[in-house]
Amino acid sequence: MEEIVPKFNYIVVVILMMTGLWSMLAQSNLIKKCIGMAIFQTGIILFFISIGAKNNASIPIVAKEPLGQVLGQAHAPEGSQPPAKPELAAAKAKVYPDPPDVNKLTNPLTQILMLTAIVVGVATLGVGLALAQKVYQQHNSFDEDEILENQTK
Amino acid sequence: MTEHLPILIVLAPLLGAVFAALTSWFWPRVSFPIVLAGLAISCISSLLLVFEVPASGVIHYQLGGWGKQKEYADMVVGIQISVDYLNGLILAAVTTIALLTAIYSRPTVERELEGQQRYFYALFSLLVAGLLGITITGDIFNLYVFMEIAALSSYALLAYGKKRATMASFNYLIMGTMGACLYLLGVGFVFVKAGTLNIENLSQIIPDSLFSSQAAFVGFVLIIVGAWSKMAFFPMHGWLTNAYTYAPTASGALLAPLATKVSVYAMLRIMITVYSIDYIIQSPNIQTIAILLSTIAILVGSFYSLTQTNLRKIACFFIVSEIGYMVGGAWLANAPGLKGAIYHVVADAAMTSAIFMVIGCIIYRLGQADLKKLDGLYYRMPVTFIALVITMAALIGVPPTCGFFSKFYLIQGAAQAGTWHFVIALLISSLIKAIILFRIIEIAYNKVPNPAKDGNETIPREEAPLTMLIPTALVALGLIALGLATDTLVTDFIAKALPAGLTS
Repeated sequence: MEEIVPKFNYIVVVILMMTGLWSMLAQSNLIKKCIGMAIFQTGIILFFISIGAKNNASIPIVAKEPLGQVLGQAHAPEGSQPPAKPELAAAKAKVYPDPPDVNKLTNPLTQILMLTAIVVGVATLGVGLALAQKVYQQHNSFDEDEILENQTK
Repeated sequence: MTEHLPILIVLAPLLGAVFAALTSWFWPRVSFPIVLAGLAISCISSLLLVFEVPASGVIHYQLGGWGKQKEYADMVVGIQISVDYLNGLILAAVTTIALLTAIYSRPTVERELEGQQRYFYALFSLLVAGLLGITITGDIFNLYVFMEIAALSSYALLAYGKKRATMASFNYLIMGTMGACLYLLGVGFVFVKAGTLNIENLSQIIPDSLFSSQAAFVGFVLIIVGAWSKMAFFPMHGWLTNAYTYAPTASGALLAPLATKVSVYAMLRIMITVYSIDYIIQSPNIQTIAILLSTIAILVGSFYSLTQTNLRKIACFFIVSEIGYMVGGAWLANAPGLKGAIYHVVADAAMTSAIFMVIGCIIYRLGQADLKKLDGLYYRMPVTFIALVITMAALIGVPPTCGFFSKFYLIQGAAQAGTWHFVIALLISSLIKAIILFRIIEIAYNKVPNPAKDGNETIPREEAPLTMLIPTALVALGLIALGLATDTLVTDFIAKALPAGLTS
């Protein structure tokens, strides 16, 4: 249990991604492939969001007052911090000689990145569904095996 | 003005795509000139920049002025784009080939996509913008975004084809999205450990402090596998042949040379710059696997090409084997191997472009490109036939052409690394390409009695229109020019693109 709880978010991410990947590669229905693709992308988005989240941290806006006082703790997002490794600390110390109070702020970069990734995911899903629809108009089927049979006829 | 040239390379085709899409609603005739102008601007700026690199060193450009922040030990805060010895050459190759293909594609698009060509050139330009973005960016997440821009437009471009193209494009979409997602996941691992996405900063942080980190290693493997499935490396090559064979001629001629090569560039960038060559040398298992897989890729691509009669499908299987050359050369991780791999990215872009252009010319006149129905091609389309022979000679590796020099470096590298199976695969693949060349000559030249002699049936000369023929001839001559310029290219660019530790 002590192994599972701190890594709960990663376990969920792995389950989601594996479900998506299996559905993308092993399912023969084109729509199910598209759904798998969406699940896979959601898993990755969740992964990025959870690596940026910190316990009791607030939104990353630099203010002159301490942020906790300005906003209150209500805005603190839930989530767990990835376990710190010595080499990470060394790398951080090397590149940030004088770090700002980063433990009170969530990492904004991962959220920005995922905003972009969501847009990309939506666009890909749209193109995928459009292609699936075009395939259906040609072959009157969403099943990969039937389509293959149709094509070789 | 000149300091903004780097961003202009990407911006010109991107804006060209936007305006071409907008004007296609009310004034469809101008969308092609707009795209052509965008590509020409991009081509000129990249050529100007490439020659500036050896003179004034690596060029960096900070988007929005968000550059290095002194208070954070020279960390780059914004997105940085840069032109250096590695991507300068590839930028020049991509922009030139894109421009020539745009000129070339006009007649085939008008014939093959009659009535549905409205967004074709907008997508064409968007694809080029994506590929150039991948090449020029200095940020690994930005690379993912451009990768998806290029991929999304290529799915649409490939699906323009007849019947089977839609399903082939869908399969490509699934494989491509999987590759991009794995890449993105790998970027996540790298970001967790290093705290930055900038390639320049990563190239300092990773060798300094993350060489023994397991998370960084997982990130590396995910990124590499993602790039492999994008470039149709063996065992993920299944989507490529169908997608490119059934695509419209113009889409095939643009995508086949550029899309896979740019993915190879992305892999090279991650391997050489972000993780450094020492990282690959210290993980010998993955190196052995990569070289073994590329050996299999070369053999599989070559042998399958023998079984096909459709010229386009043969060319597609050539791509599969050429990808094996480049990946194998890169993973040899020594100076000649890497030189060969980088040189072959440029050379193979030109060779694939030439062969797809030639096949497009044949399809334009004869309606198909079946190997068995090419009899009398030499008399019917002499220029196209000569271009085809030059291209095949380059693919085989006949000395004055560029194919010879890349093979020379690759074999030298493989011999130095002692991976003889890779050498044997390279030679076998040359041999098989020679067999196919002689089959083509046999059918196109010898099968029909000479029409110039008395009593023989005359064959009318009917070349493809000049707008198609001239780009084809230019690219085919470019293969010889590239070969003759090898010395300059290697000493001025490729040798300097190699990491400092590798100089021999």
